[in-house]
Amino acid sequence: MRKRLKTKFLGIEVNLPLVLPAGIMDMSFSGLDISAKNGAGIVTSKSLTLEPRLGHKGPVVAEFESGLLNAVGLCNPGIVDGLTEINQFKERSDTPVIVSVFATNTDDFSKLTNHVNKSRGDFLELNLSCPNVFDEFGIPLAASKDEVFKIVKAVKEISRLPIIAKLSPNVYDIVEIALAAEKAGADALCMINTVGPGMLINTKMVKPVLFNKFGGLSGPCIKPIALKLIYQTYSALNIPIIGMGGVTIGEDAIEMIMAGATLVGVGTAVYYRGIEVFDKINREIIEFMDENNYDNLEDIPKLEKLK
Amino acid sequence: MNKRITLKIAGIERETNDIKTYSFKHSLNAQPAQFIMLTDFEGGEKPFSISDCTEDVFSITVKRIGEFTTRLFQKRVGDYVSIRGAFGSSFFVSQGKVLLIGGGYAVPTFYFLSKVLKENGAEVTLINGARTKDEHLFSEKLSKLGIKVINTTDDGTFGEKGTSVDITKRMLNHHSQAGAWERENGKMFDFVYVSGPEMMMKALQPLLKDHDYEFLFERYMKCAIGICGNCTMDPLGIRLCVEGPVLPKKLVEQLTEFGQYHRDATGKRIKY
Repeated sequence: MRKRLKTKFLGIEVNLPLVLPAGIMDMSFSGLDISAKNGAGIVTSKSLTLEPRLGHKGPVVAEFESGLLNAVGLCNPGIVDGLTEINQFKERSDTPVIVSVFATNTDDFSKLTNHVNKSRGDFLELNLSCPNVFDEFGIPLAASKDEVFKIVKAVKEISRLPIIAKLSPNVYDIVEIALAAEKAGADALCMINTVGPGMLINTKMVKPVLFNKFGGLSGPCIKPIALKLIYQTYSALNIPIIGMGGVTIGEDAIEMIMAGATLVGVGTAVYYRGIEVFDKINREIIEFMDENNYDNLEDIPKLEKLK
Repeated sequence: MNKRITLKIAGIERETNDIKTYSFKHSLNAQPAQFIMLTDFEGGEKPFSISDCTEDVFSITVKRIGEFTTRLFQKRVGDYVSIRGAFGSSFFVSQGKVLLIGGGYAVPTFYFLSKVLKENGAEVTLINGARTKDEHLFSEKLSKLGIKVINTTDDGTFGEKGTSVDITKRMLNHHSQAGAWERENGKMFDFVYVSGPEMMMKALQPLLKDHDYEFLFERYMKCAIGICGNCTMDPLGIRLCVEGPVLPKKLVEQLTEFGQYHRDATGKRIKY
């Protein structure tokens, strides 16, 4: 039955269409493995930096009625240790891995790419859009089409792996930025990163709940924003999109596909529906296909492109 | 949704120079081994095991180890802190003869467990170990529960001399020599609970191979809601904040990182 969910992404066979995105269950090879065992077709590493990072002090996550707010602050063990986890994962699993990396300039992105070239990763994701390190690094690179073009182009020249640019929703003109990534040689896009950032306040203690004060928004409340941006981008570009943002149930994933996504990311829903969420959503996608007489994933129609 | 609650500290009790118990008036409804995440919004949110929980009061026992707990030590009754939880798995509540093996700062959790086990009719023996008398915890509180407590210190300054591991070894050996192995398939206890430093637990594991047991683990926690993956244990990908912190024998036996390494706040592996 699951065979009907098989698809191809950048020339690689993918058994299941759901992607574990960067920042979720990805600090260890075993976290990636348990996600794959529970039905993620592709897993993504934590966004790795050249040196280890502690991230922000807690609270790093805050729950509210319709989503989560987080400012983890790119904690990661650094590219060397991070790739060790990925290689160890690949020793035990055939599931493709996206190696996510974060830097703030071309030089560092190039250095990271050289490391990733020597790893067993399958794709390279450039995290251009972390919204939670503003105090340290300023406005994310994904806010500028020129920066996006420059970084993607430089990495494309040296990367052994296909490149996925992870874009921010927090821009006025997503299409202009997505086009810059495509023109620079990005093989695919991953969108959207978290929204906002936003904030929550503890009223008894008169303090922001997150120690970083502001954090990226995820969960059901951001799905409409994700769908709109993915649809606009799909309409204007030719490269595939990993669509994510608030996907919690099978129908959310169908919406992502109809908006133009080739694969669908599921992150915050691990909180709402457990680590089994991937297989739950896989089953719900199959149920939808049965109800609507679609044999394969590719049969699910996409919206007519925006003109 | 797991609602954050902001509470005034209702009571503070000094246990040792570096350990205090904080109580809060709130119906937390927690089970033994579950934990809360606590913050004062000044930088840091840390997990703390529940050391007691009644219908309307719960407490945590805190060791001063760094910046965060030093700040917590300066707080007074009436000051606010904010919590999330209770999170995680709890100890199986066994009947019959049970053994609790505790080391150091991990013992307060066993106070709560002992109470629950006693209420359920179990016959409780607790080994309460510490390095030295000044670090020995909860001996008075535990003595009031009507359970059998064996106090021990590494240097012999309080109770028997030796580690919790030594005492366990002695107890099981003695039992074995008395020819009791035939009884109940060689099991001296119906269930064993272990809470303490990881290397203590590692040393106890082979001694307990004939017993059913649960171990209480500690790993660096950030989100506590099962998404960040910081507290996963290899190679199973068990999230200690959701599937743990208590793990049963059949899972403990499969853990390759047990007693070998843990991961710090960056996710980097740190060897024991």
